[in-house]
Amino acid sequence: MHQDLPPPPIIELIKVSKFYPPDVEALSDISFSVAKGEMVYLTGISGAGKTTLIQLISRMEKESKGVLDVAGFDLGKLNHRSIHLLRRKIGVAYQDFKLLPNRNVADNIAISMEVVHQKKSNIAERVRTLLEQLNLGKKYATLAGELSRGEQQRVAIARAVAHHPEILLADEPTGNLDAENTARVMSLFYQLNRQGCTLLIATHDKSLYRVGNRRIMELRGGRLLSAGTPFSTSNIAAPVVKALS
Amino acid sequence: MRSLSTILQHTGRNLLLTWKPQLMTFFAVMLSVLIFSFFYLTHANALHVGAEMGNDLRLVVYLDENPPPALQEEYRSRILKFDRVERIDFVSSQEAYARFAKQLANDSDVLSGVPADFLPPSIEVYPLRSLDSLARIKRFSDYLETLPGALKVQYGKEWIDHFHSFIQLMRIVIVLSGALLIITTTFMVAYTIRLNLFSRRKELELLRLVGATTTYIRMPFLLEGALIGFCGSTAGIVALYLLFRWIKLQFVGPALFSVVPFTFLSWPVTACIMLAATLLCALGSFHSTRPILHL
Repeated sequence: MHQDLPPPPIIELIKVSKFYPPDVEALSDISFSVAKGEMVYLTGISGAGKTTLIQLISRMEKESKGVLDVAGFDLGKLNHRSIHLLRRKIGVAYQDFKLLPNRNVADNIAISMEVVHQKKSNIAERVRTLLEQLNLGKKYATLAGELSRGEQQRVAIARAVAHHPEILLADEPTGNLDAENTARVMSLFYQLNRQGCTLLIATHDKSLYRVGNRRIMELRGGRLLSAGTPFSTSNIAAPVVKALS
Repeated sequence: MRSLSTILQHTGRNLLLTWKPQLMTFFAVMLSVLIFSFFYLTHANALHVGAEMGNDLRLVVYLDENPPPALQEEYRSRILKFDRVERIDFVSSQEAYARFAKQLANDSDVLSGVPADFLPPSIEVYPLRSLDSLARIKRFSDYLETLPGALKVQYGKEWIDHFHSFIQLMRIVIVLSGALLIITTTFMVAYTIRLNLFSRRKELELLRLVGATTTYIRMPFLLEGALIGFCGSTAGIVALYLLFRWIKLQFVGPALFSVVPFTFLSWPVTACIMLAATLLCALGSFHSTRPILHL
């Protein structure tokens, strides 16, 4: 009986809105939940609010209204002194990469493991594994500022997953990648998902979510239009969303 | 242990990245400590000199008539009420005459025909030998003049007045140089750290985003401030010691130094100055790293 229960939600948003002064409504009444171990695509055209949503979940921005519960933290009540506890459970691959251009690739990836005081030998090993996996094996000591956009994007992804996060938020993770490297990145994502990591991937690249039967949520003009699968994008019956929308 | 090594590594990296402003701050702290401790040393030695020269110091209160034993006790209790003293001697007219005659030695015949009570009786007060006894003499003298029957109070007034003024001036200079030390160390370090923070804002933001605690980010900067304070104050004290040695060798003859024991700052005072400079610099860092909390 116990095994039939759905996994508990690890990300839950209830009527979340985000306003920017003077009167820009970036997100409006967003409600959905993502179960632990789920892999969800967040789609929508540029300016739909995908990045804002990721920023809210990672607490880079604070919601204007509504309730956000991520990895057991009520983000509305999370203060500055405890914010690191949430962020250690999340890995974020930023759209603008947020790399340190004057530091080498290995240092850029290691940073997310150093803050949790992992052993140097473990860090070095993990960095090498990830670089091999993402076809960057020869770039270990290259300065991040000297890499191409595609390479920088993969380094940003490696940094996001290096510390084995419970949740991975990826904002346009394949935007600068060719087909081969896109496949490598997706392979890494599937591997993480199989290991229990929850993934929320913001993308407008249909080729990513056309295959498989992962849930797709679509944002338009700051509103959540659907939360169905690739084969039934208008199926709002899927999770909690139906009841809340 | 791992976190300490990471913090030290970050501190080292901070220092390397911004070594020019750090060097400027180091010199500013060094100079401030040197100026402050120089005046402090001068003041301390001046008090030593005062204490040495005040060993034979006494206040003589001339009275209008010989006080009977009961009045002597009254005088004694009044004097002790104002301040503790080393000794109080009552000198009658006759004792004063005898002392004067003794001083004249072979010329004592000049006193022939002079009545034995021609000198006024007096009270000789020997103040306690303490560092600022000279500074207290003036106030003591003013008080003794108010005793009943006191005609005049005598002591090395002019010399003591000058010395008192000098000590007062030194105290003002110490306070001013102390303020300079506080302003320089706190503000210079605060601005250097702020500059460092500004130049590394992206990195600090990233550290925050990947889950670094405030302490993890803040500690290297605090350590950096404290390190500048410690190194700057150590250099300042060393410079002062060299200056002290040089003055002792070059400017003053050994004769004076054998009479008056000029000494360098004691270990506790040196440690206090260095600790204060280190803490002030750490305080400056602490203040400038507050914005990190809001990243």
